[in-house]
Amino acid sequence: MTDFKQIENNLKKEAKRLLEAGEVTVVLAYGRGYDEKHSMPFAAKTSADVEKLVFNEYCNFNMARYLMRYPCGTKIAIAAKAADSRAIVQLIQEEKVRREDLIILGIPAYGMKNQKTDEVVDSKTTCGLYNPPLYNILLGEEVHGQPVVSPYEVLAEYEAMDKEARWAFWKKEFDKCIRCYACRKACPMCYCDPCFIDQSKPRWADKAPQSPGNMMYHLTRFHHLAGRCIDCGECSRACPVDIPLYLFHKKVAKECEEMFGQAAGMKLEDKPVLVDFRVEDSDKILE
Amino acid sequence: MLKKISINKISELAAALMGKGLLLAPVKENSGYNFAEIKNPNQVDLDFHNTIASPKAAFFPHKEDFIKYETGKPIGAASVIGLSLPPTFLFGVRPCDVKSFGIMDIHFNASGIIDPYWKQRREVTTIFGYAFDLEKPAETEEFYQTLGIGAADPEGSDVFMIKKGDDLLLDSVTAKGEKLLAELKNFAEGKVTDKKYYDEYIKKGREYKTRSMCLEPEAITKKLEDLFHNTDFWMGVSSACLSCGICTFVCPTCYCFDICDDTLFGQGTRRRVWDACMFTDFTLEASGHNPRTHVYQRLRQKVCHKYSFHVRKYGVISCVGCGRCTKHCPVNIDIYSIIEDAMKA
Amino acid sequence: MSFKPKILGIACNWCTYTGADLAGTTRLHYPQNLRVVRVMCSSRINPSFIFRAFQLGADGVLVGGCHPGDCHYNTGNLYARRRLAVTKKILEFAGLEPGRFRVEWISASEGNKFAEVVEEFTAQIKELGPQQKLKIDELREKA
Repeated sequence: MTDFKQIENNLKKEAKRLLEAGEVTVVLAYGRGYDEKHSMPFAAKTSADVEKLVFNEYCNFNMARYLMRYPCGTKIAIAAKAADSRAIVQLIQEEKVRREDLIILGIPAYGMKNQKTDEVVDSKTTCGLYNPPLYNILLGEEVHGQPVVSPYEVLAEYEAMDKEARWAFWKKEFDKCIRCYACRKACPMCYCDPCFIDQSKPRWADKAPQSPGNMMYHLTRFHHLAGRCIDCGECSRACPVDIPLYLFHKKVAKECEEMFGQAAGMKLEDKPVLVDFRVEDSDKILE
Repeated sequence: MLKKISINKISELAAALMGKGLLLAPVKENSGYNFAEIKNPNQVDLDFHNTIASPKAAFFPHKEDFIKYETGKPIGAASVIGLSLPPTFLFGVRPCDVKSFGIMDIHFNASGIIDPYWKQRREVTTIFGYAFDLEKPAETEEFYQTLGIGAADPEGSDVFMIKKGDDLLLDSVTAKGEKLLAELKNFAEGKVTDKKYYDEYIKKGREYKTRSMCLEPEAITKKLEDLFHNTDFWMGVSSACLSCGICTFVCPTCYCFDICDDTLFGQGTRRRVWDACMFTDFTLEASGHNPRTHVYQRLRQKVCHKYSFHVRKYGVISCVGCGRCTKHCPVNIDIYSIIEDAMKA
Repeated sequence: MSFKPKILGIACNWCTYTGADLAGTTRLHYPQNLRVVRVMCSSRINPSFIFRAFQLGADGVLVGGCHPGDCHYNTGNLYARRRLAVTKKILEFAGLEPGRFRVEWISASEGNKFAEVVEEFTAQIKELGPQQKLKIDELREKA
């Protein structure tokens, strides 16, 4: 199990150093919430704020979500677990943030827990990586020797389903949706302004939480995140009615990886797959 | 009139109510409990702490159709969709949520324009309040004690229920509840000792511990008015806010809505749909101007509306301390802590 | 009453639409179930068009573009190929019959290919029957 206390201490130390040296104007990390178990995203701006930083097994939030709140050119240090780091890589690829503005404080973490269910967060609902692919400073020791399970293993059961059963499954799930839009707001890759669902010309879907609009919203969102979703599982964690959005995102990510041979948010020099093409792409992918 | 029913026989009570009309009660879903229409009396399950969504949807549904129209036809051709409602029983509402109906009545059913949909639903509905289990501790998010609401307050309910060991004691609070209980002849009346237990339970409910602080409506109103332009404060408390709509959708006292026209192939419906002040386009004007573009402005609006503007205008805080917003917030923003910080600021 | 499928065709201006035109001028017969919408390029197609078409009553959607390499805008259909492949996978995983959505490359000179594809696709949709899954309730009642 990761030594969370040690990471917290390192985080404080680095944050203090960076803020005092003036290398960054803000450190995006985790702060204490209303009790021990409930931490929350926190932006430390002074060295006094640093004392409020925490890190524990419940710090699941994807901090990359907050990067775009700061004007371009702001020097930011950001605490990044594997998923956050992947999101940052993806945002850099999409030219939403600049590499030179960021100091990534990598956090290798094993044994993170979902605060609602207390279950360990693993490759079932997220990408299941332990170590961040991109960082400047690593705040703990890299995790080695843990089983690496394919994030797509959980899909087998759903892929094997009959299409009628799968339709029934998704229809039931999407009918639960109350359209609070927490999924898109928690998602580090959902930054469109305005989101297609808020547009009134054309209006893609009805505002009421009913079947066609819900279906339109979710299917289109899956499409918009195709090849960009970094599988952090934040959409499903944020969902108040527990729609397993991660399953669909995983499926789309898996297909993209198989078709285009590239996983999202792993390498800085990659280009998102849907804004790219190869002349030699096969027509087979359309079958 | 006090009735006593064994909890194992709750389905008999449910069946009796279903025989009289529509029964809405908490039902276990995979993510937790929620109020839903009961189709099978065995579905009723009182083993819950509180529901995910508040029961406000019983009177103020997420989506309510008002008018059917056809494009190109004169206004007279449009038809208003009326309601024909069976007697409804809203079963197992926690005292803090029952309080919320009174607050919502201010907006829909008290003065100015009276909402016929809300009013009709309120009229046909009999509310069965249900005290929190005093043996069990409150959830960390809850803070109704702060707002002067006890864990077993019968006010606002028509019939109020408490648990006594393996039994359920039901007492009538209003004439409507009294009449209903009298009609339920198959269920035995409680003894004098039960009545005593019931009265004491309600008294004890007042002391039930949730998070609490000393909160004077006048003081917090003033404080928030003074803080309104303190951008640093609001930026600080909202720095994690994602600006999603969970907190307002699960809130029992949030009543904002949008009127939408949904037209398809010339056939249209005008309907009311819940809206949330946390959404960016909530205040977007036709001109393109948006007075609340920042997240902090929207969170400030939400907090100040509940704890300041509402008090100025109607004299009561528009919050019942059920803690749902805190519990379901994906980033754990806690309105209680914000109020606490505001008092200290 | 026999089932008359409604099929939405989205055709690129430079190849498939011209191909359809050629099919017409050469008096080739093909089923009349196809309603064609012209777009400037297959990469103009927003996946939401396809989802919305299914919701608004389409039993099948046929997308036509230039052959890869022949795009009037050089690379439009190469982007479209990737994008529409994802659309197909999404519809499939949601549980829609995969046969209801098809992408074909049809050049301006392939009038007979256009007629053949439409013939074949219509027959396939007829076999699949009416699309009921994504269709909105209002349309279902009328059917």
